[in-house]
Amino acid sequence: METASSDMKNFYRQRKSNRGGITKPSSKSTSKSKKKSPKNAAAIGSDITQPRTLISHGAPDLHDDYDKHEEVLRQFDMNMAYGPCLGMTRLARWERAQRLGLNPPEEIECPLKGGKVNSDCLWDGRV
Amino acid sequence: MEAMEIDAEKNLQRKQSTYLSLDETFEIQKETYRGQQYSQIYFARLHLMRTLLYSLVPHWKSHLKVCTVLGLEEEKECIIVGTLYKHMKLKPCILDEYSKERSAVPLVKPHNFLHLDDHLVLEDESGRVKLGGDMLSPSSYVTGVVVALHGKETGSGDFLVLDVLEAGLPPQIELPLQSREDKYVVFVSGLNVGSSTSNPLQFQLLVDHITGHLGDEKEQGIASQIVHVVIAGNSVEIPSGLLNGQNLASKDQSRLSEPVKELDILLSQIAAGVPLDIMPGPNDPANFSLPQQPLHRCLFPGSAAYNTFRSCTNPHCFELDNIRFLGTSGQNIDDLEKYSEAKDKLEFMERTLKWRHLAPTAPNTLGCYPFTDRDPFLIESCPHVYFVGNQDKYGTRELRGSEGQLVRLLSIPKFCETGVAVMLNMKSLECHTLSFGTQFGS
Repeated sequence: METASSDMKNFYRQRKSNRGGITKPSSKSTSKSKKKSPKNAAAIGSDITQPRTLISHGAPDLHDDYDKHEEVLRQFDMNMAYGPCLGMTRLARWERAQRLGLNPPEEIECPLKGGKVNSDCLWDGRV
Repeated sequence: MEAMEIDAEKNLQRKQSTYLSLDETFEIQKETYRGQQYSQIYFARLHLMRTLLYSLVPHWKSHLKVCTVLGLEEEKECIIVGTLYKHMKLKPCILDEYSKERSAVPLVKPHNFLHLDDHLVLEDESGRVKLGGDMLSPSSYVTGVVVALHGKETGSGDFLVLDVLEAGLPPQIELPLQSREDKYVVFVSGLNVGSSTSNPLQFQLLVDHITGHLGDEKEQGIASQIVHVVIAGNSVEIPSGLLNGQNLASKDQSRLSEPVKELDILLSQIAAGVPLDIMPGPNDPANFSLPQQPLHRCLFPGSAAYNTFRSCTNPHCFELDNIRFLGTSGQNIDDLEKYSEAKDKLEFMERTLKWRHLAPTAPNTLGCYPFTDRDPFLIESCPHVYFVGNQDKYGTRELRGSEGQLVRLLSIPKFCETGVAVMLNMKSLECHTLSFGTQFGS
């Protein structure tokens, strides 16, 4: 019997090449793009209503961008004494608390004005 | 025949007064909408009023402590401070439209939504509690008023109210003591130019009287003492049939702008001679929710050329010769009338001053802009004159506060229906009416 070794390739169905043509983007991207909500967006259908988890390219958003500032800022968001947090930037809420004489924690003033932290509250876009 | 003597022309000088506009707090150009809801304005209102009430509580009941709603202990007398919410059985609810029972009778609402079963609830940041007892009569209160209550929690979980503390009239800046001269401010509202019921001749008579074209020297002398004119809303009536969303034919387009053009012609006659403030009202081409923004200058090409013409917000606050005037075009008082009762409109006005809030039902039943950091309807300084436009009849009363405040309450009737405008004397703050009729009686 002839060993159809040369025919091995034909024997087993070859897989279609994955290169070229239309390909799905690799799901291994580690960079998460933070969707910056447009300044005055409030409309139905805008991205502001989509939870952030669905936007970050399919990978489940299990680890939020946590740094030490974010933890303190979240405590500030949740504190009832400074009023509702939804619908305002954190800085605006801090300034309002300042103006109303509520003595908000001063250590978050600098990070908020510095701009590297998330300007929107914890629930923004998720509620 | 004797030659008629021609009197030497006497030029009567119109008196003047200093004007200061305090409308800045009612303007919303600087506000940005970021999707906030009304919880923000309620928070600002509760916080500012609570700070105020906390300072008044020691004078009221020094032996009692203030606590939060969640911190209430049964049968222990204490004081709670919060926003009132009135649960009304007949209040229209958006969910009624989705109700499965389609009754044959349409869901037509009566003019006044009061019912004997209405009850009040007090809400602060921690929670709500239903209010019981006879001290607070639900028919006198509305949702949105911030008060302090003395009482105790009962076994059933209600709060039995023993006493109420309202903020009371705000502090007032005293009027200068030096003798003031007779100067008059004319108030008019509900001109409804362009409607079928308005009589253009009546308004023309008013304009002629103000500008001194009517009457003999004595009349003209009185007219020369008019230093300011305030038009408190509903100056035009645009034919509503045209505003049904369909495309307008060019013939209809001119009908749409006719009332405003007619108004502009008449206003320019007034503005040529005397400073004029015009406020938007519920039927005017301005935004719907309070605070209504000034009518746009392009609507008044003739009048806006004069620097005496001022388009103002609703509510409107200004000072003339240091006398503070505060007023609205009627929406706040009309809304109070739907959700509470009082013996007359002036009593509603008195209540808003005692609650220190121009429109407590906003944003619950009265359209309002969702402010985040302030509540512009809080009255911080007591006005000397408090006016409301577009009412059914003329009314005026003097209100005295517990700290010597003196306010002239003024209810301005609709001019198109009554032909009545109001003159207020700045010296004594007394008012009288100017009545214009065009009936040629037999």
